[in-house]
Amino acid sequence: MLRIQNLSKTYPSGTQALKNVSFDVQDGEFMVVIGLSGSGKSTLLRCINRLIDPTEGKILWDDVDITAAPPAELRQIRRKIGMVFQQFNLVKRSSVMTNVLSGRLGYANPWMSLIGLWSADEKKRAIDALDRVGIADKAGERADALSGGQQQRVGVARALMQEPKLILADEPVASLDPVLSHSILQYLEQLNKEGITVICSLHFLDLVHRYATRVVALKDGVIVFEGSAQEIDRAKFKEIYGEEAQEVRAASL
Amino acid sequence: MRRPTVLRITLNILLLALLAVVLGVSWNVTEIDFPGLISNLPNGEKIIKEVLSPDLFTRDFETATIEIPFAIPCGSAPDPIPPSSGPRLIATPACADEKTSFTLEGFDLSPNAEIVIRWQFPDGRILTATRTTTDADGHFSTSVDAKPIASAVDGVPSQLQVDTNVSVGNLKTSQALQDVTREMFVTIFMALLSTTIATIIAAPLSFLAASNIMRRGVVGTTIYYIFRSFFNLMRSYDPLVMATVFAFWLGYGPFAGMLALTVVTIASLGKLFSEAIESIDAGSIEAVTATGAPRLHTVVYSVIPQIVPDFISFIIYHWDINVRISTIIGYVGGGGIGYYLSQRINTFAYHQAGTAILAIVIVVWAMDFLSAEIRKRLT
Repeated sequence: MLRIQNLSKTYPSGTQALKNVSFDVQDGEFMVVIGLSGSGKSTLLRCINRLIDPTEGKILWDDVDITAAPPAELRQIRRKIGMVFQQFNLVKRSSVMTNVLSGRLGYANPWMSLIGLWSADEKKRAIDALDRVGIADKAGERADALSGGQQQRVGVARALMQEPKLILADEPVASLDPVLSHSILQYLEQLNKEGITVICSLHFLDLVHRYATRVVALKDGVIVFEGSAQEIDRAKFKEIYGEEAQEVRAASL
Repeated sequence: MRRPTVLRITLNILLLALLAVVLGVSWNVTEIDFPGLISNLPNGEKIIKEVLSPDLFTRDFETATIEIPFAIPCGSAPDPIPPSSGPRLIATPACADEKTSFTLEGFDLSPNAEIVIRWQFPDGRILTATRTTTDADGHFSTSVDAKPIASAVDGVPSQLQVDTNVSVGNLKTSQALQDVTREMFVTIFMALLSTTIATIIAAPLSFLAASNIMRRGVVGTTIYYIFRSFFNLMRSYDPLVMATVFAFWLGYGPFAGMLALTVVTIASLGKLFSEAIESIDAGSIEAVTATGAPRLHTVVYSVIPQIVPDFISFIIYHWDINVRISTIIGYVGGGGIGYYLSQRINTFAYHQAGTAILAIVIVVWAMDFLSAEIRKRLT
C-alpha cells in the first residue's frame, strides 16, 4: 500500500505545486489523477519516485519511507517503480533495444552495463517485453525512427523491464490520438490486472471512466475530489475544471 | 496626429542623411581607385599568370656536348648528315672555305641559356669560336668564321661543339611540390593536434558553462558565468592576433601556430559543446534515473548518446576550420604551408607560391567535403 501523507512541494521560484496532499493507494488499484494543466499532477507523480523531492510530508510504500531513503536505497525503490511519460522520454539516438535494456540498469551488473554489455538473459527479457507491446521487430531501429504510438510502447516495455510493482504514468496518452490512447491504456490495464498498481494522470474524462478504479482530482495543488469515476457529476466537473470548462470526449475528436 | 507624422518623416530623412555621410566617409577612407583596376592590369596579369602555372614537375638534367663535324675547305671531308630531332646543331652551308663565314643554328637546347660555341681541332685542341644566347625555345642562330686553323687534317674535319642541358629520365615532382606537400602535412597535423588538445580541455570545461548543469545555487551560477564569459572573451581574440603573440613569444614555427589555434579552438569548442549540453533532452535523463540506474549509468545511457554525435561533428568541423586558418596563421609566423607561402611571395617566387595556393585549395576543399559528409552521417 502506498500512503501519501501531507505532501507539499514549493519550487524555488515560489510556486506551490502541492499543498498538504494526502491519500492512499491500495495494491492493485488503477488510480487516475485528473486536473488542469499546472494543477500538480506531474509533481505528485514525480514525488513518488523522488524525481522531485517534496518540501514536506511523507510517502510510505509498504511502510518504507520513500522520502527519507538514502541514495542507494532510493535506487532499490525506484527500480520497482516503472514510469511512463507524456513525451515518451526515450533516448532518441539510441536503438529501441538499448532504450528497453536501460530499464534494467537497476538490476544488471553495473560494470558490464556501463560498457554496454548485456547478458543473453537480459536481452531475451527485452525482446519479450517488446513482444508484449507488439513491436519486437523494431528492436534494431533508432528510437526516433518510430511513430509516437510505437515510442510509447517502447516506454511501456522499458517500464516492464523493471519488473515493477507500481507503474507511474504521467499523461501517457496526451501526445497520442484516441485510437492509440486506448491501445496504450489497454496495455496498462492488462498489467494492472496482473497485479501491478497503476497511478496514471489523464485528461479525457471518458478515458477516466473507462480505466480508473479510483480517481483523485487536483486543483491548484489541493485534492478537490477523491472517489470513483461515476461520482464525478456535472457539479464536480465544474469544480475541478472551472466554470468555463466543457467536457471533451476523446472519442469525439 | 499630424505632428508625430511630420516628426517621423524628419527623423527618417535625418537617418538617411546620416547613413549617406557614413557611407561617404567609408568610401574616402577605403581609397577607392577603380581606374587603377584597369591601368594596373599588367601587374595583376603577371602575378596571376605565374600563380596559375604552379611549379609541380621537373626533369633531371645533365650537361651534354652536342657536336657536328665541319669541313674546311669544302670537300676536305664528307659533309655530316644533320639530325632532325633532339638537341642539334645545323650549319648552313654545311661546309665552308677558309676565311669565309657561315651560319650556325642550334635547336632544342637549354632555353634562355648562355651558349659557348667551340672548335675542337683534329688534334684535340679546343678554341672558343663565339658566344651567343638561346631564346625561350632553346634556339640560337649565329655567324661563325671559318678560320684556317680549323681546317681539316688528312680528311679529318674539326668539330663544332656546344654544351647544353639535356633532360634524362621521366618527369618527377619538383622541389616546390615536395616542400609544399611536406608543409601541407605539417599544417594538417598542426590543425589535428590543436583540435585534439582543445577538445581534451574544452570537453570537461564545457559542462561548467552549460546552464542546465550549473545554474543551481549561487556557487554553480557563479562558475557558469565565469566560464561562459571566459569562452566568449577568448573567442573574440582573432587567431591571427594569437599567432602573432605566440610567434613573438616562441619564435616562428608550427608550435606557435599550434598554440594559437589551440587557444582559439578551446574557446570556440567550449561554447559549442556547452550549447550542445544545454540542448539535451532532460526527459530521457529523468526516465533513466527513474529506472533506478546509478548516476554514472544515467550519464552513459542518456547524456552521452545525446551529446557525442554533436561533439564529434563539432570536432571535425573545427579540424576543417583549423586547417583553413592555419594556412593564414603561417603568414604571421605560425609555420606550415602559410609560412612557406609568405616566404615565396616575399621573394617573388610566384610559380612556387602558385604550388602552395593550389595545394591549399585542394586540401581545404577536400577537408570541407569530408567533414560535411561525416557530419551528415552523424545526426
